[in-house]
Amino acid sequence: MAVRNMTAPMAKDATGNYTDVWHPKRGIRWGLIFRHAILIGFCVLVLLPLFWIILMSFKSVPDGVQRYIWPKNFIEPAFTHYKWVLEKRPDVIQNFKNSVLVTLGTVVLATITAVLAGYALVHLRTPGQKFIVWALVASTFFPVRVTALIGIYNVQDALGLINHTWGLMLPYTALSTAISIFIMRGVFETVPKDIVDSSRIDGANSFRTLLGIMLPLVRNGIVVVIIVNFVAAWGEYLLAQTLMNDAANKTLPVFIANAGGGLGAWFWPRLAALYILAIAPGLIVFGIAQRWYMKGLQEGALKT
Amino acid sequence: MAQAVISDEQPLKTEAKRSARPAWVTTAIDVLRTYPYLIPVIVFFVGWQILPIYSALRVSFTDDNFLDRVEPNWIGLQNYRQLIRDELFWKGIWRAFLFTSIFLPGMLLIPMFVAVLVDRVTNNRIATTYRLILLIPSMIPAPLIFVLWSWMYNNYIGPINYILVDVLHLFNNTTQPQWINDTQLVFFSLAFMEWWWGLGYHTMFFLAGLATIPKDLFDAARVDGASEWRMFWGVTFWRLLPIILVLAVIRFGTAMAVIEEYLIMGGMNRTRNTYTWTVYMYETAFSGGIQLRGYAAAIGWLGALFMLIVVAAMFYAFRSRD
Repeated sequence: MAVRNMTAPMAKDATGNYTDVWHPKRGIRWGLIFRHAILIGFCVLVLLPLFWIILMSFKSVPDGVQRYIWPKNFIEPAFTHYKWVLEKRPDVIQNFKNSVLVTLGTVVLATITAVLAGYALVHLRTPGQKFIVWALVASTFFPVRVTALIGIYNVQDALGLINHTWGLMLPYTALSTAISIFIMRGVFETVPKDIVDSSRIDGANSFRTLLGIMLPLVRNGIVVVIIVNFVAAWGEYLLAQTLMNDAANKTLPVFIANAGGGLGAWFWPRLAALYILAIAPGLIVFGIAQRWYMKGLQEGALKT
Repeated sequence: MAQAVISDEQPLKTEAKRSARPAWVTTAIDVLRTYPYLIPVIVFFVGWQILPIYSALRVSFTDDNFLDRVEPNWIGLQNYRQLIRDELFWKGIWRAFLFTSIFLPGMLLIPMFVAVLVDRVTNNRIATTYRLILLIPSMIPAPLIFVLWSWMYNNYIGPINYILVDVLHLFNNTTQPQWINDTQLVFFSLAFMEWWWGLGYHTMFFLAGLATIPKDLFDAARVDGASEWRMFWGVTFWRLLPIILVLAVIRFGTAMAVIEEYLIMGGMNRTRNTYTWTVYMYETAFSGGIQLRGYAAAIGWLGALFMLIVVAAMFYAFRSRD
């Protein structure tokens, strides 16, 4: 595949890859400046709302209810709003814990499911392989979350899982299986068949081949699957809202989405602090794993 | 790439054994060997996709009211007959379609434009930085994006109207745009939010497509004096077209079935544009009242059918003609 290695050192660039052709007559390269100006503009546009909400979480109480952007006074000490959320609101901490439980469960289940299925679909002689892939593709075009919401309720009801937080991880895993398997399938396809064959000749069975030889080769794809499922499960709203009755069993995004508008105890800066705490885990995971994530995307996760 | 130690010349022992057996035996052995790997996906896929879809279909033929605790009766197509005459349902489909037609072009064209620019950045470190920054919003879960933007669009604390009213003086407090409450504006506001959210992720798809175009092609064209504009329409666009079409079909499907945006930002006001067929289904099935699950399931199914017909038509129109 002719995908450029993004982490390669600069020097490699000069040879094979595409570089701007230098026009000595033109002097200043306006095209280059223009291009970067537009891209920086887009980056600023992406970052501004996030800076705004970070700023909001440090505003003093009177400034927090006004709409001017830069506050006259910051709250003293700086992390007062965060401290209030973490220390004074056991109900929110409970929702936070619920989110952690459901997210971890979903990530583990979905990753195992996707790795096993992706491996079987690409590297093993699986009868009915085409049908399975077709069914998964078809499912992505069906609005399962909307049309089957009543059905999901009935399934969870039959299993006695209504109002049980951990039960959410089952539909969560199911709703992202198709995309997770496509990602793993794309990445497994980049591994040459010879590797599987030679491992089989060495006497390894297919499961040992997967654990010992395949997993290290597809780790970037696994990182993509983990991140995709992490973000989806961490922020799922519709099912958590519908399948949980008691506030204590709901997840953090449901609380934040229903908290509404900055009144009473939850005035804006406090809500903003809670918001930052809610998006932080995802951004931290992304920050740590971004190198593998980007490689995983390139290796085949983006093949459609 | 790692080279396999053993070449193809030496056939595997198992291959020889396979050919000696009757076909159905080999298939049976393959099933026993490989299906253990597929147990989790089958459990989840059947249990929480196929079964719920089937269950919703069955409920849609009954008069199931959730809260009356009476066994539902089979009433055949009556829910559907009633639904076809239900003005609110068709309005809901139309509204969803309206949003989709505002949302879709931007969601395809802006990331393509950005991807073409990022692809031309020669310094790897800078290019990676652009990608990372653009991807940040895609790491924020959906409902939290909607909360953030309902604050951005807010009249009392929202920075957008602060800039428009207090900094630029384009409006005053009575004429300022009601980004969410204004029926005309709300779909544009939501679409802008979606573009912001999906920019990085969609750019990645286009970058993956651009990476497969041989770069000497451009160098040669540039030496021949072709302009950037001509190179884009002559080469790049056609190479990206398959990606555009695939994304168009996928995004059409998701945009028609949007629900969380409307629930979080629009609520259940039937006169608002955000009250689409998905919200209608949700309100009928789960909120207050006696929860007419049978009728709601019919709304969900008819909406999905309508959507799938358009998706199938798009597939047919976009099929590759080689």
